This record gives sequence, C-alpha cells and structure tokens, in this order.
Amino acid sequence: MNLIRLFLCALTVSAFTLHAADTPPPVAPVIVDGFTYVKTLGGISEYTLNANGLQVLVLPEHSAPVATFMVTYRVGSRNEVTGTTGATHLLEHLMFKGTPNFNREKGNSVDQLLERVGAQYNATTWLDRTNYYANLGKDHLEAYIAIESDRMRNLWLRESDRRPEMTVVRNEFEIGENNPIQALDKEINAAAFVAHPYHHSTIGWRSDIENVSIEKLKEFYDTFYWPDNATVTIIGDIQPANALALVKEYYGAIPKSPEPIPQLYTEEPAQSGPRRVVVKRAGQLGVVGIAYKTPAARHPDMPALQVLGTILTSGKNSRLYRALTDKNLTTSASADVGFFHDPSLTTIYASLAPGASHEEVEKITLAELDRVKKDGVSDIEVASAISQLIASSAYARDGAFAVASTLNEYISSGDWTLYTTLDDAIKQVTPDDVKRVANTYLGEDHSTTGWFVPIRTPEATE
Amino acid sequence: MKRLHLPLLASCLLLIAPLHAGVADQAVRTRVASVDVIACKTGVQDVVTFRGSLPAGDSFAPKDNLAVASLVGGMLDKGTTTQDKFAIAQKLDAVGAGLSFSVGDTMVVFNGKCLRKDVPLVVGLLAEQLRSPAFSEEEFSKLKKQIAGRLQRALEQTGYRAGQAFAATIYPPDHPNYEPSTETFLAALETATVADLRAFHQKHYGPAELTLVAVGDVDIDGLKTEIEKSFAGWNGGVKRPDYPRTTARTDADRDQTIFMADKPNISVILGQASGLRYTDPDALPLRIATTILGSGFTGRLMATVRDQEGLTYGIGARIGNDTFTDGDWRIVANFAPNLLEQGLASTRRELKSWYEQGVTAAEVERTKTNLAGSFQVGLATTDGLAGTILSAVHYGYPLTWIDEYPQRLNAVTLEQVNSAIKKHLTPDNFVLIKAGTVPTAAN
Repeated sequence: MNLIRLFLCALTVSAFTLHAADTPPPVAPVIVDGFTYVKTLGGISEYTLNANGLQVLVLPEHSAPVATFMVTYRVGSRNEVTGTTGATHLLEHLMFKGTPNFNREKGNSVDQLLERVGAQYNATTWLDRTNYYANLGKDHLEAYIAIESDRMRNLWLRESDRRPEMTVVRNEFEIGENNPIQALDKEINAAAFVAHPYHHSTIGWRSDIENVSIEKLKEFYDTFYWPDNATVTIIGDIQPANALALVKEYYGAIPKSPEPIPQLYTEEPAQSGPRRVVVKRAGQLGVVGIAYKTPAARHPDMPALQVLGTILTSGKNSRLYRALTDKNLTTSASADVGFFHDPSLTTIYASLAPGASHEEVEKITLAELDRVKKDGVSDIEVASAISQLIASSAYARDGAFAVASTLNEYISSGDWTLYTTLDDAIKQVTPDDVKRVANTYLGEDHSTTGWFVPIRTPEATE
Repeated sequence: MKRLHLPLLASCLLLIAPLHAGVADQAVRTRVASVDVIACKTGVQDVVTFRGSLPAGDSFAPKDNLAVASLVGGMLDKGTTTQDKFAIAQKLDAVGAGLSFSVGDTMVVFNGKCLRKDVPLVVGLLAEQLRSPAFSEEEFSKLKKQIAGRLQRALEQTGYRAGQAFAATIYPPDHPNYEPSTETFLAALETATVADLRAFHQKHYGPAELTLVAVGDVDIDGLKTEIEKSFAGWNGGVKRPDYPRTTARTDADRDQTIFMADKPNISVILGQASGLRYTDPDALPLRIATTILGSGFTGRLMATVRDQEGLTYGIGARIGNDTFTDGDWRIVANFAPNLLEQGLASTRRELKSWYEQGVTAAEVERTKTNLAGSFQVGLATTDGLAGTILSAVHYGYPLTWIDEYPQRLNAVTLEQVNSAIKKHLTPDNFVLIKAGTVPTAAN
C-alpha cells in the first residue's frame, strides 16, 4: 500500500509502468567540489556527497521550466515491528509539523511555501521507503531544498502534534477499511507472510496507530533519517552543477548517522502449503484474490514475471479478460506483480460480476494459470506484452515529476539503475521464460487465496 | 542550517512566467476534414497524447431512455463494422498504444497515448471507432451486464453514494448535472435496444463539434494528413446547446443520511447549486475564495479541522461541474462515526467565519500565486497540457486564455472575492449528505 498524506491515491502502483524507454542522449557528468561522481545511466548521473554519504541523482529535462526535487529515505513499513506498525507513515505526517527554522507560526512552513508557489507536493510511505517531493517552478527550487534538508534532522516531534495527527491517520486507516479490496489485501498479506514484516500493511494496525508513543517515533526518526540513508533526486529544467551546489550548500553540514543504519535480516521461511483467508463484511459484490510468492525486484526473473502479468490481465486480449470479464463473470481482473526490495507477492484480483460465484471464478483463474504453465504462451502474446511495457516506460517519462515517481520505486528496490536496465531485460524475455517463471512461482503450495464475501444488509436512508 | 530569504522569494512570486512562452503561439489550430484540430509540439521525446471530445453525453439521451448515450459510448471500443474488439485491441497492444472513451454529462471524451511512430494507427482507429461501431447484439448484451456490475460495485463506495445523492438533491431532474438513481439507470439499461443505439449514433456522432487535441512529440503536418485521410467524408453530429440557466431545487430534503453497514469512514458533502458557470465574471473570484477555504494543507478547513483538531484525514471545498452549465459548490469531508458531529460542527464554524467575515487581502494574494503556480506546473506534462487546451475549447475561450490566466488572476480584487461569496452562496440553505455507518441512523 502506498500511503500519502492527503487522500489515498492507489492501492498499489502497477509495476507495469515503472520502466524507462529508450536511453536518452548521454549527459556528461559534472565536476563539483565535494561530490564523488559514481556513474551515469539513462541520462541520470549519480553522485555521492562526500561529507555524509548522501546519494544524489540528477537528470536535466528541459521540456518545461519546472523541476522536481525528491528525497527518498530507505525506511518503510518493512522496518517496523509489533507495536510500531504504521510508525513510518505516522512519522511522515509529523514531518510537516515544522522545525525551529521553518514553521507555520513563522509563516514559512513547507506547506505555506509550497502552496504559495503552486507546487505539486506531498509525501508517501510504502513497504520499503518514504519519500518527500515537490514539483515546482524551477525558480523556487532552492527554497524547497532549504526546508527539505532542514527537516532531515531538526524536526519538531511533539506529543501535542502527535495526538491530533494520530486521529488524522486513523481516519486514513478507516477510509482504507471502507474498501473491500484493500481489506482483503491486508488479510492476504498477513496470511502470506508470517515472519517478514511485509506481513502488515503500511498503514499499520489500528491499535498501533493509536498507541505508538512520541518517544518511539523520535527513536524511529533518529535511527533512519540521516543523509547516508537517503537519496536526493533532482529532475527538470536545471543545470546539474548548480543543482549539486545547492545540495551541498543545504545538506553538506548534516553529519552522517552516528550509528550504522539497522538492516533488516528477517527472511520469510519457505511456504509449504496453500493458505486461505475469507473476509466477510457488508458489501455488494465478491472479490477473489490469489497471491503467489515472487522474488525481489532485482531478481533476474522479474522481467519475465512482468511480461506474464501483462499477458494475464492487460487489455482485451489478456487471458483473464477473455476467460472472465468478457464472459461477464468479473467486472475486472488485474495482476499486481510485487516490485519490492524483498521477495513479495504477485496477486491476481478478480472482482466478481453480479451472479458469479467465488468458486467458479477461482476455478477458471486457476485453469488459465495451469494452461500457461502447461502449454506456455505464444510469440504474439509475448511481443505484445513487451511492447506494452516498453511503451509504458516512455509514457512514464512524461515530465519531471513522472520520472521522479518512477525512479523512486527503483531507488527503494535497492538499484536505481533498473530504471534503464529493466527495459533492456524485458525486451529479451521469451515465451520459454514466461512458461518457466509461471511454473516456478505460481505453484499452489506458494499461494494464498482470499475471498471477500459481501453480506447484504438492509440500508436505511433518512 | 541554512536560512531561506523569504522576502526575496515573495517579491518574485507574482512574476511567474507562462509555462510555454505562449501556448497559443506554439499550438497549431486548424480545421481538417471538419474536425477542429489543435496540435502542440513539446519537448517530450517520442510520446504523443491525444485528448478530444464531441457532444454526445448523457444529457443528449432521449427522454424515454436515459441510458442510451452511455451505452453508445460504451460500444465504441467493442468492435467496428470491419473488425472486432480483439483485433483492435491487438493492434493497439502490439505497439503499446492506448485509446479509451468515456461518457460525461455533456461530452463523450476520448483519450489516446502512443509513440510518435504510431500516430497514424491511433488516428485511424479513433476515426473508425467513432464513425462505424459495430453495435453487435452479443457485445451489447455483455456491455449491459458489465455496466450493471460496475454500478452495483459503486454502491459499496460511500463517496459515490454521497455524490450521487448530492447531485440528485441540488439539481432539478432536467438539469444535465442531475444524477438519476442507480435503480432508474438500471431500468433504462434493461429496456434499451441496439436500434436505440444506432439511432442515437446516427444523430449525434459526427464532426459538427468534434475537437481533437494532440500534444507531445507530434509531427503536425503528418497528423493533419492522417486526420484528413481518416475523417474525410464524415458529416453530421450536433453542436451542444447553450443550456438554459436553471433554478436550484428547493423541494428536496436538505439533511440526508445514507446508512451503509461496515463503513468506518463516513463521506460528507455540504453545499448547494452555485448557479455559476466557469465563464461567468464571478466564477474566478469565487474560485479564489473557495481555494482559501478549502484547498491544500493551508486552506482554512485543512489547517483547522485536520491539522489543529485532528478530526479528518481529508476535507476540502471546491466549485465544479460548471464547464457547460451552472454548477455546484461543495465541501467534501471524511469523518469517523464517533467524530462526525464534532467534525461537522468545526466545518460549519469555519464556513460561517469565511462566509460572514470574508477573506483577507493577504489570503487573496497568496492564493493568486498558488493558482498561477499550480496552473504552470500542470502544463508540464502532455496530459496536463492536452487537458488544459481541451478545457479552453470547452469554455469557449481562445488558446490565448491559457497564456493570460496569470494576468486574469492578478486582476481579481479582494472586493470581488468577498462579494462573490455573499452573492452566490447561502450556507443556511446548504444540503448535507452523510454516507456510511452513521451512528444515529443505525437503529
């Protein structure tokens, strides 16, 4: 779940849109005192700020006089434990409460600055990362960098802010609970993962949201919010040397973490049998979700899995559209191929049409998967899926903010260069690859199946 | 710690330059095969975004069947007289292109996206789908069931239910923005026939008011050639009427609760029909006033009801549904059942203060820079620019309107803003809709 500070935009980000297309013309790296140049790929140059290990990615893009600045912290709900679930997200909310230098009382808070200039800005938290961003007129870039860098280490973390923000976040949790698919998704993940923290959703459990202390949140902040646990991305109508100079000016004085950033070592034990969950609530129509354990984003099988997901559910010629939606058994069917730092889930969701039964839809879905495993897929299907994925990459480069949003997920996966290299790998996928990954990962013993069963209740209107 | 020199920043805020040094100068607008074509080449590489419309939305549906316009729109991607939906989808999928249609109250809108090399394919398919849908009985039967399923699923959503009830309450039944009940729509769906669809298509689909906007890495001359080839010889269609002004309903229940079990978040809408169109002189001043009350994190509602009091995740005010007709003004909020009354009280308190005391000069100036800046940022993608160009066409403005928007904002005075609030809104008569597990309605 990708949680943002204002209104829940999407249950998941489709992994299908997270690629770059053809490599842009090479951009020569710049030499800026205080930085070590690392590499350039796909037009994006990586630098390290020598003073504290901050990773910096720079991509000039001059199609419009705007720039996107984003800081991605490598901390997400995977870094939480029982009692602190949802803490990453709650902390993200509190990051807008101000610092001694920038706050509402002074009239220069991050909200006040960015809304005054009409920036598109917000923050999001997900399994592996937390990011803060603004897409704004390039003339206002420095002002935002000043505030963003300041709150990396100088945040006010006050109980008087936590109390009202807790109820704000609790309402965000409640909004999610209104949605049957989100409710089902939580249950499927909780059943599929027994040890790894992907077990719990990013919003956290209600009781943790309500009770996590300000001291715990401060501990979280002091553990993970350091330059050597962050990546700054600057994209847009900028000159790289000038942009790097600004980063150095505003981040250069921040020390690196005094302690090593804790690394998650928990691995999910192998699943040795199918699991099932059922969610019964008031509602109109049922949902079937079938999830399979699939590898981390950086795994070499990921491109073939993405092609498989596209073949299964993308467009009118996809296997499940033809088998389910076109037969009026579902209103939609989708496949979310998990694209995360650690092994996660690929989940097929089939939303039942009126009159369709869970049993029938599940049976047909499994039969279609078996058909792929047994007979494979055609050359045409693979070529078409690759074209869709590659074109999506080009669409995901439409403007600085779109590029930053895409890059954010690659950063959090542990390898930002996937932004470029994944496309090349997708182009190499063959029908045999698709058949192989289907057989490797879509096994019953690795599955968790969930049903949302609606309970029809009488409604009252007054 | 670096300090920011805000005074210097503030002095620059009103000098925001238009995004594209003149969209009107960059865009090429011509009539090709009776189609109003607007093409704008931008710096994006390889991507072309299409956006367009023609007036065949739900308000054009015949009196005896309000579902016909939606059904015709739904059949556009279900095959043509020369190829079925799977063949069309295969052609688009093979190059990763997309083409979709949606039916609104007034317009059928289409959206397309493709790589530069595939513009001829997408333009050709667009024309084919608009001009000669197959209207097969088999696909028609499937579509009816699909729409029925989607509507039933929508009934699970508190926001959908509240919005539907609000539109059904503030607009009279003959208003284009009126929302019929789901049951009424489903009944119409059942009785519609393919013959009804063919007749509607014959009458309303044509280039009479067809606009096609293409933005991105577009070869403008090549685009015109393809449009000429694909749309040549097509005639007919209708122009949208100048909808008469309507009087807001006063006969409906002004405080409605839609009880829905197992919904721990309650969707709330509080508002009225505004009587204003986007192009009315008071619309921009009221938009500025509404932004001050309920837009973003520094809007009064979010700053107090959320940030200070913690009563909601999201609350905002907006003015809308006013492109072609007089629209509405509403506050939209989410509350937990146990915080509903407190949340509503805080909302009404802020509304009262805003309405009675008005807004300040400082707020107006800040909001002008906010709206100018966000307008600029919104033009930075092909989607944003194409959408804004099509909106300008829908408003009946020339494309220079896009470039002049910051100046229009700057020209609005504090007096105009405060006057527009009082002139067009009457909080005492607002309609309140609550949808969800409302405590007082549970028994």
